[in-house]
Amino acid sequence: MRFFFRRLRHACFLLFGVSILAFLFTTLAPGNYFDEMRLNPQIAPETMAALRAQYQLDRPLPVRYVSWMNSVLHGQMGFSFAYNSPVAPILFVRARNTLLLTITATLIAWGIALPLGVWSAERFGRLPDRLLSWATAALLVIPDLALALGLLVLTVRTGWFPTGSMTSLDFGSLSLGGKFRDLALHMTLPVAALVLSGLPLLIRHVRAAVAEVLDAPFMLAARGHGIPRRTLLYRYALRVAANPLISLFGFSIGALLSGSLLVEVVMSWPGLGPLLLESILSRDLYVVIDGVLFSTMFLVSGNLIADILLYWADPRIRTESAAR
Amino acid sequence: MTMRRPLAKWLVILGVLHAIVVCAGFFAPYDPIEQDRKNPYLPPMPLHLLDAQGHLHLRPFAYALKLREGTFDQYEQDTSQSVPMKFFRSGAGYRLLGFLPSRIHLFGSEDARICLLGTDAYGRDQFSRLLYGGQISLLAGLLGAGCTLSIGLCVGAAAGYFGGWRDDALMRVAELFLALPWLYLLFALRAFLPLSVSPLKAFFLIVAVIGAVGWARPARLVRGVVLSAKERDFVRAARGFGATDSYLLRRHILPETSSVLLTQAAILIPQYVLAEMTLSFLGLGVPEPAPSWGNLLSNLQQYSVLVSYWWMYLPALAMVPFFLGYLGLASSLQERLEPYKIERRSPGSLA
Amino acid sequence: MQPLLRVEKLVKCYERQNVFGSREKLLALDGVSFAVAQETTLAVVGESGSGKSTLGFCISCLEIPTSGSIWFEGRDIVVLAESERRKLRPQIQLIFQDPSNSLNPRWSVEEILLEPLNLKGKLKREETKQRAVALMTQVGLSSDMFQRSPAQLSGGQRQRLAIARALALEPRVLILDEALSALDCSVQAQIANLLIELQRTLGMTYLFITHDLAMAAHLADEIAVMNRGRVVEQGPAQNILRHPKEEITRHLLAAIPSLDNAERPPLES
Repeated sequence: MRFFFRRLRHACFLLFGVSILAFLFTTLAPGNYFDEMRLNPQIAPETMAALRAQYQLDRPLPVRYVSWMNSVLHGQMGFSFAYNSPVAPILFVRARNTLLLTITATLIAWGIALPLGVWSAERFGRLPDRLLSWATAALLVIPDLALALGLLVLTVRTGWFPTGSMTSLDFGSLSLGGKFRDLALHMTLPVAALVLSGLPLLIRHVRAAVAEVLDAPFMLAARGHGIPRRTLLYRYALRVAANPLISLFGFSIGALLSGSLLVEVVMSWPGLGPLLLESILSRDLYVVIDGVLFSTMFLVSGNLIADILLYWADPRIRTESAAR
Repeated sequence: MTMRRPLAKWLVILGVLHAIVVCAGFFAPYDPIEQDRKNPYLPPMPLHLLDAQGHLHLRPFAYALKLREGTFDQYEQDTSQSVPMKFFRSGAGYRLLGFLPSRIHLFGSEDARICLLGTDAYGRDQFSRLLYGGQISLLAGLLGAGCTLSIGLCVGAAAGYFGGWRDDALMRVAELFLALPWLYLLFALRAFLPLSVSPLKAFFLIVAVIGAVGWARPARLVRGVVLSAKERDFVRAARGFGATDSYLLRRHILPETSSVLLTQAAILIPQYVLAEMTLSFLGLGVPEPAPSWGNLLSNLQQYSVLVSYWWMYLPALAMVPFFLGYLGLASSLQERLEPYKIERRSPGSLA
Repeated sequence: MQPLLRVEKLVKCYERQNVFGSREKLLALDGVSFAVAQETTLAVVGESGSGKSTLGFCISCLEIPTSGSIWFEGRDIVVLAESERRKLRPQIQLIFQDPSNSLNPRWSVEEILLEPLNLKGKLKREETKQRAVALMTQVGLSSDMFQRSPAQLSGGQRQRLAIARALALEPRVLILDEALSALDCSVQAQIANLLIELQRTLGMTYLFITHDLAMAAHLADEIAVMNRGRVVEQGPAQNILRHPKEEITRHLLAAIPSLDNAERPPLES
């Protein structure tokens, strides 16, 4: 329990630090939303000043930070100039969509990487293993951007899957099963892009970790005891290899999140990515900060989950923290 | 010495690839910003050795393109009009390596243009733009990686060598930077820089932004090396001879970090080239008309281009050989650094 | 006679942060006192972890002791400012146990040997070179090894090189921190004899830190036995050897291999 609280405290510290960093970077930016407006001769300078005062843009930085923080804690998360509404409702919908994408991609990627990595480690150095290694290497050298665009070009030309947005136009009129099918079809392309870009690294790490365990003397001893191969592989080897893999899990969430930003923009998936891009271009200050904060929160919670899994999987950490 | 062979191989491959991009003026047949409004979105023109009548030509040639009957953007090969490739032909002026004025191009043609990868909306030759764009993208990657590594080196060395509260503070900040998803961070940083700026300024902004984002990981690695290096007996011995801190850092400790820095460079450069591509692709990077690998692809964001002009995608694949080279370099560098581990990993490693 | 080096109630306490962020205290030196006269050898003998290496680091100004004082040539070097300590360090040189770690593997023999001379400055290029050749002959190495890397030398040659490098600054005190332990027996004897000869010709004072009581008896005039950060027994070498008072000394004596079993004191578990 103490272990958990320490990790939680650390996560809060990270979030707090990131909020300050994001706030600093974005508010120090020369130019804001209303500067773009100033070029418009129809708006009087007095109106501009009034607007600036209304949104506290004329106040000193710490005051603005505190008032923004206050707004975050009250669940509003600042004000969007472009949408003329609190940021929270806009952001939550987008964040939900991003989460839907990343969580699905994470599950699928691990669902493929784990058995494939173990399978490959078992045949370490033999032909199937080498073929898989070359395949992952080939995937690894295709840049994310090229991969996402390539899939998009392919799909648009073949028309196998719908592209762009999350749902069809007639989504509202579909039955529940039809809605699910429609959503799944629309998700296929972005999820495929995410999975393919994350997969090679995962497979390689799983393979390396398991291969290392399989070589250990205690595995030889266990084999000597006559423990069946499957049990040996999945119950023994995988559990020992769990430690590096769980850390990798936390890392993979961050990688997929970064990747999803690009994929969402390329595939016009209405997640955080396009929102962030749009708000950067229009200098919609608080949306940018909140977007960064949200994605950091996902990442930090991913690491927190990894930590908890590690605590559960690795007896050494449990005893260390119990002893204290 | 067998271990040096893959390293040399990858270095040669990368050297050749970079030389092609550095000498883009020579390898590219045309000026990258020269427009040909009459020929937008030309498809790639394949080179032939056999003509339509089945005769073999020693000189490769392409067929000129003509509009298909009844369309306004569909081209077909005009087999009656062959455009032979002319080598070492004089064409648009350029400066080789940035200072040698020259007009000689590897290839060119007499009348119609040979556009190996087609043309874009303004009829600019994609192949030439690809080569010139590489200069910008690769330079951004190299400079960005240099930036990151120098920040990482300074921070890591300071944290590791002086320790104490400086170490704590610096590593806390590094943790913060590691917690941010890096593409988002790149965005956030770019957000606070002016949006519309001149290409040159935009380029340096991008390099600075990309370079400033990734310092945390190398800083942690350098710190680790410095921490272990400063406990080595030869450092203690030198201190015993009356050496100052700056001497110890310069002569004994920083040289120990060179291998880590090299490996990090091989990992970071392609990442940063990709970062530049992403930013420019999204319109936050190098602006038109200057070509970069990112903004060459940005018109793929239009659905009509996606549907009708698939060849606009081809420049995306330009990165692949570079990625391959850097990945190979990184893994062979790693193998040299961890000679124990290679025995296990070699069948799977890229080299 | 005024001793060259006098240590009084020296305490060194390390505070170490473990992986989980809690601090642990470790008392490496717990009130150590002794004195060494000029041109003599004091052997500090103890098991590993008894704090003898820390003692060496403290005396050679590489670590700052927590409390206590170290008097060298009439000055307490513990309270000196860092710049003063830096000037003092060349006077008290340390030879490390493992020469493959104390010689920078990236450097050539010549660079390694010239390092202290270059740091001292003052000498011209030609003089430096001559001095380097002289030092090499002094420790029994030939100067045609200059371009080799330390990895290409044998263990004994490396330790000779380390000694030559330490001698370059003409120190008053040489601290030998397990300097012979990593070497083969025959090489140990060669280096030990080299050390005795150097002491005779250069008038050096040695602090010989070791776990090997036999070698200590061979080299030292006096022996101090350390256990858990304290000096438990001290006296002339022959006295300690013949009439050990403390349990730990008897243990160390028992560890000396001997051909004559009858002379061996019984080993208690």
